[in-house]
Amino acid sequence: MATVIEMKGDQQEFKKEVETTDMALFVRTSDEAMYGWNRQKIVDALIRETYVDFDTAKEIAQEVEDLITTSKIRMITAPLIRELVDTKLVERGLEQARKMHTRLGMPLYDVDQLILHPNKENANVPHGPEATNLTLAERIKKEYALLSVFSQEVADAHMRGDIHLHDLGFIDRPYCSGQSLEYIKRFGLSLPNSIAMAKPAKHPEVLLAHMVKFAAALQSHFAGAIGWDSINLFFAPYLEGLSDPELEQLAQMMIFEFSQQAVARGGQAIFTDLNLYWEIPKHFENVPAIGPGGEFTGKTYSDYLKESQRFAKALFDVYQEGDGSGRPFFFPKPLVHITEKFFQTPGHMDFLYQICDVASEKGNTYFVFDRGETAKISECCRLSFKLKQTDFEDAKQPWKMRYCALQNVTLNLPRIAYLAKGEDSKLFSQIGEFVEMAVKAHLEKKLFIEKLLSLGEKGPLALLAMDRDGSPYLRMHRASFLVGMVGLNELVQIHTGQEMHQSKQAFKFGLKVIAHMKLLVDKFSQRYGMHFVLEQTPAESTAYRFAKLDLKYHSPKSGHIVKGDISKGEVYYTNSTYLNNSAVLNPIERVRQEGLFHPLIEAGALTHIWLGEARPSKSSLAHFVMKTFQLTQNDQIAFSPEFTTCNRCSRTSRSLRSSCAYCGSEDVDGITRITGYFTKVSSWNKGKIGELRNRYRNQAFMEEKEGRLALEV
Amino acid sequence: MGSIKIFTKAHCPKCPAVKEIGTVLKKEGVPVLNYDLDTIDGLAEASFYSILSTPSLIIEDEREREVISWRGVVPSLQEVRQYLFK
Repeated sequence: MATVIEMKGDQQEFKKEVETTDMALFVRTSDEAMYGWNRQKIVDALIRETYVDFDTAKEIAQEVEDLITTSKIRMITAPLIRELVDTKLVERGLEQARKMHTRLGMPLYDVDQLILHPNKENANVPHGPEATNLTLAERIKKEYALLSVFSQEVADAHMRGDIHLHDLGFIDRPYCSGQSLEYIKRFGLSLPNSIAMAKPAKHPEVLLAHMVKFAAALQSHFAGAIGWDSINLFFAPYLEGLSDPELEQLAQMMIFEFSQQAVARGGQAIFTDLNLYWEIPKHFENVPAIGPGGEFTGKTYSDYLKESQRFAKALFDVYQEGDGSGRPFFFPKPLVHITEKFFQTPGHMDFLYQICDVASEKGNTYFVFDRGETAKISECCRLSFKLKQTDFEDAKQPWKMRYCALQNVTLNLPRIAYLAKGEDSKLFSQIGEFVEMAVKAHLEKKLFIEKLLSLGEKGPLALLAMDRDGSPYLRMHRASFLVGMVGLNELVQIHTGQEMHQSKQAFKFGLKVIAHMKLLVDKFSQRYGMHFVLEQTPAESTAYRFAKLDLKYHSPKSGHIVKGDISKGEVYYTNSTYLNNSAVLNPIERVRQEGLFHPLIEAGALTHIWLGEARPSKSSLAHFVMKTFQLTQNDQIAFSPEFTTCNRCSRTSRSLRSSCAYCGSEDVDGITRITGYFTKVSSWNKGKIGELRNRYRNQAFMEEKEGRLALEV
Repeated sequence: MGSIKIFTKAHCPKCPAVKEIGTVLKKEGVPVLNYDLDTIDGLAEASFYSILSTPSLIIEDEREREVISWRGVVPSLQEVRQYLFK
């Protein structure tokens, strides 16, 4: 073992240096230790980490050693040595080896900036040490994903901006999920790696506690939202005999628990969706109910209609009030399913008025439309699982109803239009290529996740592999693989010269594009035996990213196409299949037209109705909801008012203002829906801010009627 | 006189009957457009009219406004003629 000191032993000047700067000739390693120089370590690393042969490894090690001895390097670190080895690999044309040997991480300067300044990619994550941890970890996992999980082809497509691989920093997790409370009702809380085990709950508060803990555990195993099916129904057997105040108390506890920040994922709140039903969903009518202690109560869920409804009403009472300072709750999100049975169940109009009142007052309510025989579990802003026949079989044992989407890959539709240069055949074949790339990405991610899952309950995804009921918690055969899209409106604009709302032809062309994508994903689903589905990507930062990249690669054309203000950098593409959000359209027309796409987008879609500061009457909103259900194919709608909250006096007023309506302070923040959830405008990225400025707030359709404002359609 | 749009799909048992109606009327000079939901144009057009099941048949007037539609059911040739020549 030759040390640098020995080799330079006969050089006088160096000896002097050695005496004064002994420390520098040790190698500072990542284990926070210092070791004496050892050339063999380079060889060992190359053999262990790459396919480089022994002789080449020895050669490289010698060359690096020579380099260091002839240089004036005073502080040798392991990263430095690694970079020098990488250079030698590059010199020899050993690209693959270099990729395998490379070090992942961030520059010192970047880490410094990160610790000080907030990251705006996800408006949910507050700025703090956990958030910084999250960003740093995500950075490394992102690099890992692009180097080691995805092929070069797919990684390059992502970096170019042809596609967007969502949540790369969470490469070792699935995306969103749909859960059933029945699982912990029946099995209690016994998670892998937990220090204590809890038997099935006997009381509703304990059940709630279990649910919150389980949700937190799930949050650290999924990248996206956690959706809960029929939550008011599944709580109902525990609510018998509760007085109104006790029920209100429980509802308050549930909402407060899920509205507060958790620990996982950088300290953000658990992204929680609560699916609520006024009626007993048909597929649960005759299912034996599980109650206190995880025991079957002897009744079926039909027998718990009253408690289920009382709980739903109690939850909405809490939403109506808002939080301690009157602000709307950002989470959990309540999704009410509107079905044919809804309208046949007594009391539905009062409930509809109540939830519409909340929609107008605070904006929380999501209206999910399950027409005909469809049933859906929603999670995320719009992702939903359409239940198939086999799922209805599972409904008899509801704890089996667990779904997830493994990954979302979004296509940059405007990019395709730039590349096609107006030629139809080129456009459609290019769409096919992009979809194929997305499918490739999915296959690669699936392989990776399966590798992790195969290590079972002792492996990195123990929770998802845990088996309490005969199948692993994550049911791969019911996983969806999402293909999303951004900027259909701009694709149509580039290709036909008109935006979708400007002519029937342009609109129909948009339908053609999505029909093409739908037929493609169906073909791929058949070919691979996997469930590829289209989804309306929420596109919180993707619409911004794609617009920026296209300004870079497809100017000057893109300069005329991107939306927002280029000079301010507030640029974006219209989300997914939406019509231009600044177009002046009767909102019911917008809902109807956008709804024409929804049957093609199986994994879920949503239309926003921006209210601005208006507070339309609950009856006008209820009327709107009914019209939407009866006369359109729209999957889901949400009404979004806007608020300003004051950081000085803590009060909240309606509409976006630059100063507080009460105390006049300019230290205010706006609150409204970003894509599918409420958050403070100060945390939004530039693209979303641009879009916020352009939102048409339906002013022309708000009318005074009998002293109240009504949304007149 | 208006025009007819017929929507069908592969493996759809009732579709041939509706296609027959189209064939007959086409011979009589009625503008008939056939859309196969397994094709891009067919699926797009079907989506535009919110056609969710096959077979379906829509009669439109000269200004492309819907006069009547049968969705997921087979009308009789008589009924179709009746609305066409109203």
